[in-house]
Amino acid sequence: MAEHIVSAYDAELAALRNRVVEMGGIAEKMLDDATRALVRRDAELAQSVINTDARLDNLQREIEENAILTIARRQPMAVDLREIISAIRVAGDVERIGDLAKNIAKRAVAISGQMQPTRIVVGVEHMSDLVQEQLKDVLDGFTQQNVNVAIDVWKRDGEIDALYTSLFRELLTYMMEDPRNIGFCTHMLFCAKNIERIGDHTTNIAETIYYLVTGSALVSERPKNDDTSFARVGES
Amino acid sequence: MNMTVAQSAAVSSARPMQPAGAQREMPNAQETAHEKISVRNLRFYYGDTLALKGISLPLYERKVTAFIGPSGCGKSTLLRILNRMYDLYPGQRADGEVLLDGENILSPKQDKNLLRSRVGMVFQKPTPFPMTIYDNIAFGVRLYEKLSKAEMDERVESSLRRAALWNEVKDKLGASGQSLSGGQQQRLCIARTVAIKPEVILLDEPCSALDPISTAKIEELIDELKAEYTIAIVTHNMQQAARCSEYTAFMYLGELVEFDETSRIFTTPSDQRTQDYITGRFG
Amino acid sequence: MSNANPFYGRRKSRSNLMMGLCMAASLFGLAWLVMILAALLWNGVSGLSLDVFTQNTPPPGSAGGLLNAIVGSLIMTALGVVIGTPIGILAGTYMAEYGAHGKLSLVVRFINDILLSAPSIVIGLFVYEVMVVRMGHFSGFAGAVALSIIVIPVVVRTTEDMLNLVPNQLREAASALGMPRHLVIRRIAYRAARAGMVTGVLLAIARVSGETAPLLFTALNNQFGGANLNGPMASLPVVIFQFALSPYKDWQQLAWTGALIITLSVLTLSILARVIASRSRQ
Repeated sequence: MAEHIVSAYDAELAALRNRVVEMGGIAEKMLDDATRALVRRDAELAQSVINTDARLDNLQREIEENAILTIARRQPMAVDLREIISAIRVAGDVERIGDLAKNIAKRAVAISGQMQPTRIVVGVEHMSDLVQEQLKDVLDGFTQQNVNVAIDVWKRDGEIDALYTSLFRELLTYMMEDPRNIGFCTHMLFCAKNIERIGDHTTNIAETIYYLVTGSALVSERPKNDDTSFARVGES
Repeated sequence: MNMTVAQSAAVSSARPMQPAGAQREMPNAQETAHEKISVRNLRFYYGDTLALKGISLPLYERKVTAFIGPSGCGKSTLLRILNRMYDLYPGQRADGEVLLDGENILSPKQDKNLLRSRVGMVFQKPTPFPMTIYDNIAFGVRLYEKLSKAEMDERVESSLRRAALWNEVKDKLGASGQSLSGGQQQRLCIARTVAIKPEVILLDEPCSALDPISTAKIEELIDELKAEYTIAIVTHNMQQAARCSEYTAFMYLGELVEFDETSRIFTTPSDQRTQDYITGRFG
Repeated sequence: MSNANPFYGRRKSRSNLMMGLCMAASLFGLAWLVMILAALLWNGVSGLSLDVFTQNTPPPGSAGGLLNAIVGSLIMTALGVVIGTPIGILAGTYMAEYGAHGKLSLVVRFINDILLSAPSIVIGLFVYEVMVVRMGHFSGFAGAVALSIIVIPVVVRTTEDMLNLVPNQLREAASALGMPRHLVIRRIAYRAARAGMVTGVLLAIARVSGETAPLLFTALNNQFGGANLNGPMASLPVVIFQFALSPYKDWQQLAWTGALIITLSVLTLSILARVIASRSRQ
């Protein structure tokens, strides 16, 4: 896209974009670390994830302040306006992703002394890998303003939902097998739920990218494979 | 587009540059909008120079249509055709059609003065006549109507009220119109235009010489006037176009690049040139 | 700091030098004016009395005034302005409002400029040929016509200039109300240009009231006064001309007094024109 007549305007938009990308990088690493902390029962690594979240919050606040300043200063129109609104929205999503990763890290600390069926951990780790890939793709899509990547990510969310559903059933089975598993499994269930929520935020970001580039909303019904809300204990 | 079939048929030629894919669903559709003025394939010449290269667009009744574009794009020229102001100058001519309620105003049979009483105009610089505030308004009215003193007083007051000026000038109607401030003068000019009960009001950069507060007052006025009049406004202030109008036409180098609902032009224009212009990326 | 810069210093001294030269030139010009006025007052005031305004011009050696000359001047100036102003205003209006760039306007403007700077004696001769010769005698009427020919170009010029100063937007605004062209001109353009046009007429009056040459060939002079336009008529400039050149002391005194009267009235008109012009600018 051509440059603005006022170059400071371009600089402001670029700074905004860079901050969002920086946030994305931090959130990616937080999720990665939190998952590893969970798998390796590494309380120290978990604690560092928890500490990192504050940085993400600060960055988000900065993005919002700068976005508001730019709106007040430049009265952005059309694609510029969408870019600023998108930055605010993506920053919000990434900040939530950070919160969810932090929550996983907290649970990693909480269960660090307990026994663990490897299979479950492997399932959660696999799910996390999938979501991390999604997150990486969507953040690349945001940097490149690539609609196709965004649509791709948006469609793949179904896989994560499906994975979550099967993990849910598995955890229920463990809990029913041995009530001593309940504490651990509940934590794992929440971790899985957190990761699934992170997946939802990546699709939000994908939708934002679509809006940013095309100016309209990505509306058609997204394939939903998370039917755990309808699952009953007796049937599993 | 949010138009009846007949209207969109008429307009489709107005937006030849829009790809079919650009047809999108319109929110808050205003199905009842009637085409007060239809400009069709309008060309305009200053001597041998072609200034408008085949413009087609509608002006909807009781709606505000804004014309934006860089200086020299022909937006003021277009406005000045709508009341045949260009006729004051030799060597300027227009061809094509401009239909006002279905009647071609470019036809040589058209009575220009009668046309101008139906299509009023307010200019960039306030132009109070060198006479009293009262006479500034009564003057135009006297051209068309024979009113008693009481009726004229009534008309002057209602016009000034309509232009949100009454409270500021009611005690000095005998003062010279030129003694008012710039913003008041411009509202006096609007009152003068409204007083002769036109159907269409053309505003040629009405706020470019005014401070922000006077500008806001004029914009408030435009918002009220559109309940009764069809309004066309030329403005260099894009925010103003975005604030005041329902429809926006972006013109460039004598061509109509894009005509659409204002809400769409300023968020998701279809044409790259429109996008570049409204986001400040031009040249 | 800037004083340290040699260029700045040089520029400043050069500027001062120029300013000094300009002021000296102005003072030089003004000095003559002051001297003329002083001489007029010195020599003219002593002759000023009621008789000047109540008695006709006397034969040499007897007492008298300038009544016939003053009346003649007033009549011929008034008539000249009455004839010249409407023609001038109409022509000026045509050039400013209708035919601004037309061929006719170009020609008229060119001729008008020539007329504006034509020596007034040529105009006098012209009217002499056209009217005096044909009528067989000098007349006040011919004098008035000669003066009107001087008035016309002045009024044409000021009318056109003043109408051109009226912003076009004002005309457009009036037209935008559906006002026909003639009303736009009469009600709006004239009103806006009124002060300037009145000033133009006043300046024209000031100009013609001092003219001698055209009257010499047309109205000549008339010792006995009378307001008969068909016969020769006295006027201040011509009387001053004759009396000043005469060898008689009392005639010369009357010439000084007449000159003072003309100068004062022209001065008054000029000041009036200034006041009107400045008042319209607010």
